[in-house]
This record gives sequence, structure tokens and C-alpha cells, in this order.
Amino acid sequence: MSAATSFSPTLVLREGTSGRRIACRACGHDLAAADASWKEHAVLDEQPLGAAGGSVFRTDGDVLLRRFYCPSCGTTLDAETALPGEPFLVDRVMG
Amino acid sequence: MDPMTFSIIRHRLFRIVDEAVITLKHVSGSAITNEGHDLMVSLYRADGSLLMGGVGFLHHLTSAAEACKSIIRRFAGRIREGDVFLLNDPYTAALHTSDIYLVAPIHFDGRLVAWSACFVHVYDIGAMNPGGFSPQSTDIYTEGFSSPGIKIVDQGEIVQDVIDTMLNMVRSPEMVMLDLRSMIACNNVARERMQALIAKYGAETVDAAGSELIRQSEMLLRARLQELPDGQWQSRQYLDVNGETATVRLTMTKSGDRLVFDFTGSSEQSRHAINCTKWASLGGLFAPLFPLLCYDITWNEGVIRPVEMIAPEGSIVNCTRPAPVSVATVAAIQSVNNAACATIGKMLAASDRYREQATSVWHANHFAIFKFGRNQKGGFSIGILTETFAGAGGARSFGDGVDIGGEIPNPISRMANVETVEGSFPIRYLFRRRMKDSGGPGRWRGGTGGELAVVPHKAPDGGIHYVISGKGARHPMSDGLAGGFPGAPNRYAWAKAQDAQPDAGEPVSWGVFPLMGEDALYVRWNGGGGFGDPLEREPGRVADDVTRGVVSTEAAEAIYGVALGADGTADVAATEALRAGRTRQRSAGRSTP
Repeated sequence: MSAATSFSPTLVLREGTSGRRIACRACGHDLAAADASWKEHAVLDEQPLGAAGGSVFRTDGDVLLRRFYCPSCGTTLDAETALPGEPFLVDRVMG
Repeated sequence: MDPMTFSIIRHRLFRIVDEAVITLKHVSGSAITNEGHDLMVSLYRADGSLLMGGVGFLHHLTSAAEACKSIIRRFAGRIREGDVFLLNDPYTAALHTSDIYLVAPIHFDGRLVAWSACFVHVYDIGAMNPGGFSPQSTDIYTEGFSSPGIKIVDQGEIVQDVIDTMLNMVRSPEMVMLDLRSMIACNNVARERMQALIAKYGAETVDAAGSELIRQSEMLLRARLQELPDGQWQSRQYLDVNGETATVRLTMTKSGDRLVFDFTGSSEQSRHAINCTKWASLGGLFAPLFPLLCYDITWNEGVIRPVEMIAPEGSIVNCTRPAPVSVATVAAIQSVNNAACATIGKMLAASDRYREQATSVWHANHFAIFKFGRNQKGGFSIGILTETFAGAGGARSFGDGVDIGGEIPNPISRMANVETVEGSFPIRYLFRRRMKDSGGPGRWRGGTGGELAVVPHKAPDGGIHYVISGKGARHPMSDGLAGGFPGAPNRYAWAKAQDAQPDAGEPVSWGVFPLMGEDALYVRWNGGGGFGDPLEREPGRVADDVTRGVVSTEAAEAIYGVALGADGTADVAATEALRAGRTRQRSAGRSTP
């Protein structure tokens, strides 16, 4: 593996034998190819926002808080709010 | 041009805008202008392109450029020294009808050399609901007086019949006239100072300096974009209105020295007044772009050139006439602003060099609540709850967001003093304070929003009414970054005075409601987004937040994983054990609190 470049504050891009890969910045765990949706390979914790954030986050809507954890070290890699059934937000860094 | 002359002219242009803003505030009698700072002044070149963007609501900088260009087209051959034009049609250039542009040509030696433009949210515009935000409107025709361009000052003389016609359509015409006078005075100051500048340095030199400023801004922004990684970032914003949810979707692509904001996939235009026109969307995305990417670059036409917007026609971000838009500035425009802030924040955060410039989304959800009715002095008052401008800072990669810390699109926004409001309206505040737990949790916490409750007081009619265009009570809108939580959503409740507490009352969000007798209005506004994993926040900071009353003990344990000792300080060993357990749960794929 070559030196990492930044993908986000929690993720890095690494050049490997199988091309550019996205990895956890904290522990180096390999997640996905650079052009793939890395969120599919993270641990998804999806809860009603009110349950995740406490009483001031409770609403009469059905909004969810999605948190994506590193399967290896448990670090939060990203979070997003979504209504049920929404696709993940996709971010890509081409370099 | 020698660099010294160039620098002097550049700084004089800044100062001209500043002095014009001061004039606007001093002449206006509206709290929304001189306390809330819902205003904007900028200078434009002879062709209407942005020369020097001023402070105030940044959504207007590009829209007012289009207003200038539209006036140039409409009045070709009839633009004379001393003229002032009014434009407030959203389908021509304005954001909504109550944000009136006054656009004035600046001549020197008989030749058109520049334009000044300003706006304020006028006291009233004659929409079906008082105050300009008209949630009950279902088309532009019921959103009040609207002009694609009309001359209100002709060669220095007020065109009284035109102004009288407009004032005949609005509530409190004397206050609207004061708003107009404040903008005329503002443009007069801008014109006189520009003429003095040109008299000293010459029209060609000043124009050359403007041209060079624009060239520099374009070059500097393109260079900055080249330093940032190429990529594509997405965000979305949910807009709840009267039980319905609309969505603004954004994919921002940065390639080389260009940025493309693509809103494809956003909801179709709504029957409610939350839509915005394409000029408004363009303004909405530039509002965070100016301060986040151009904090050291002059805001002018050069910054606009590397940026492209794709906004599907007929959508909530590019609606077609006669869709209603009166709530746009706190609805679709603000969501465009938030979405752009989120994607720009992600792009900056992806860069090791620029990470410290990244921010979570600040105060993402204005609430437009206009009080109206007979006041304690027997007159008629209309005015916004300026707490909507109080805001909340988004967290960054190195620090917390500022509690009640303003907003990105208006660097000078603020709320009025309680006493100012109580002096103008027959109401009393029961409280106005920071809202515990409203700041988005994260390694760096989002700034808190606030909460308030008001009741009628010494009202000759037993109270007043209010128009509310409230959204953001079902979905949080201040997105976090890098794993940070969003800021807490808003809440609006119609309660009784004796139980006006955070969870009491009946939710209200859209329409006209009474504040009469024993009624109370409770409002909670959103916090800023958090940055990073809450489990990585220093335990001592969490304990300090609890001590200061901005985070609850429940949230400290459940969200931040911090165990507090009996003395209120963080129990380090217990916290480490708690956090280690949470981390194991995460890796094992189990939900954590």
C-alpha cells in the first residue's frame, strides 16, 4: 500500500494492488473500492432520530439518523438523516 | 495601474458599501432592518455585473445583479442620472415580493458608470397575510404588490403617483414609505461616494480597478478550486410544510477549477409558498460559497464565473409562474443554502489543507413569525420575531459552534432586544434562553439554538395575532459533518401562559393564529450541526457543557458516553469503560444509544 490521501476526516484513499481503495482513517480497515459506495461495507446503525438524539430531537416525523461505523474499530465514519427508504448519500473523491 | 492606487480604490469600494449600509439602518424604522439586519447593499458595474458584494443577506448579491441587468434591458434609453428603480418580482430577479430591490444608476459626467442596489424586507407588501410571508397564499397573485421594474425616482424627483399607488396596496403605508426612503438614502450615499471616488481617480481608472478586481477574484477562486480534491458530494434537505414534506437534493461536482451544483431530483414545485425561482436558488447556493470558499477573495462577478447551477424547471428550486414563493427565503432558498453549505463543507473536509475551513451546517431553519395587531399605543404594528436571525453556529474540525451564533448567509444577522419588541408590541417575554441539548452532538458540538415564550400584555384588543411560516419541526436541517449529529429541530407550540414549557401546547406551523387572553407562543429554534463522533469529545468538555446548562446529564451519558461524578466532573475511568463498551457494540453491529 502507498501513502494515504484524504477522502474525509474519517476516511482515506489508498493505492493498492487492486486499485484505489477507501479505508478507515483510524485503523486502516479496508472498506471498498474508491468508486464504490463505501457505506454498503460499513456497519449501519439506523434509528429514529428521537431515540438517537434525546428528547429535543423527538418530532412527529419519521426521520431516521443513520450512523456508519467502521466494522473493525467502531469509529463513526459518517452520519446522515433520512426518511425511510431513502438511498444513502454518496460522496466520491477522485483525487 | 500601480498597486497602491488599486488597493486604495478597492478599499474605498468596501467603505462605500459599509457607509451605505449604515445609512440604510439609520433611516429605516423597522426592527427587521436595523436590528435583524435583514438587508443588503452592493455595487454593480455599468453592465449590471457584481462589482462589490456587501454584507447582509448574501442570497441577494447575485439576484440583485440580475435585477440591475433586467432594469438595463427594460429601460434601455430611459435611464437617467438620479433615477431609482424598484423591482420585486420573483420571476424577474427578486427572492420574494417583500424583499424590494431599489436599483439606482450611478452617472459621472453624464455617462452611466455603475449601479448600486439594496434591499430591505419592507414592513408589508399587501399579501393576503400581513408582513410579506404569506403561508395562506397558493399563487403569486395573492402575495402582494409585485413589479418587474418601475421607476420611483425620476432624475432626483420622487414619482409620487407611482409610490402612492404602491402604498395604497399595503398595510402601514407610512412604515413602508420609511423603508423606501431608507433605501433611496442608501443609494444616494453610494452614488455620491462613487462619484467622489471617480472625481479623484477618474472614471477609466476606477473602472479598470473594478475589472482587475473581478479578474483577480476569478483567478483566486479557480486557483483555490484547483487545490481542492476533485469529487462529488451529496446532501439533501427535507422541508416540512403543513403536513407535507418536500425535498431539495443536491449533487455538487468539483472538477479542476469548476463547481457544478445540480439539484436534479428535487421535489416538484409545491402548492405552498415554499418554492423559489432560479435566481433565488442561485443566490441561495452562493450565500455559503462566498464566505466558505472566498473568505479572502473579493465577492464579485469573478467568483460567479467558475460556478454552474442545474435546477430543473418546475421544481421547488426553479418554480414556474404562478407558483407561490412568499416563504421562499426561509424555505427553498434556505434549503439550497443549507445543502450547498453541507457539500462545500464536505469538500473542504476532504482536503488536509482546507479541513479547518470546513463547517457543519449552521442555523438551517429560519422561522418566519410575524406579529400583527393593534399595539399598546393604539397604532398598528407588524413585525417579525427577530430571534429567527439569532442562529446557531455549526461545529468545525477544531472547535464547537457558537451558541446562538448567527448564520452563514448573513454575517451580520442578530436578534432584537426583548425591550425593543415589548416596546413596539403588546406582548411580554416569559423567557428567552439557550436551548439545552439543541446543539448537534459531536466531537465538536454544534452551537445551541434557543427557546422563547411570549404572551399578550396590555393589548387594547386583548392580544394580537401572528402569521407563522414554520418548518423544520419534523426534520432537522442543520446537518452534522464527519459523523456529527444534526442540530435539534425547531418546535412551535400554542400553549397557555401558565404552562408555556418546552413540551407543552399544541404544535402550530402554518397560517394565522391568535395570541389572545391566556395564550402563549412557545418557539424553539434549531442548533448547529456537530462535527465528528460524540464518543470522541473530551469528557471534560461534556462535563463543562452540563455545568453550563447546554447539555443534559442524560445526553452526556447516552450520546457522549460520559459518566459524571457526584461533583459534576467527568469520571474518567467510568467514561472509558462506558465508551469502550459502546465501541464494541458498534463493531458487533448493534445499535447504540
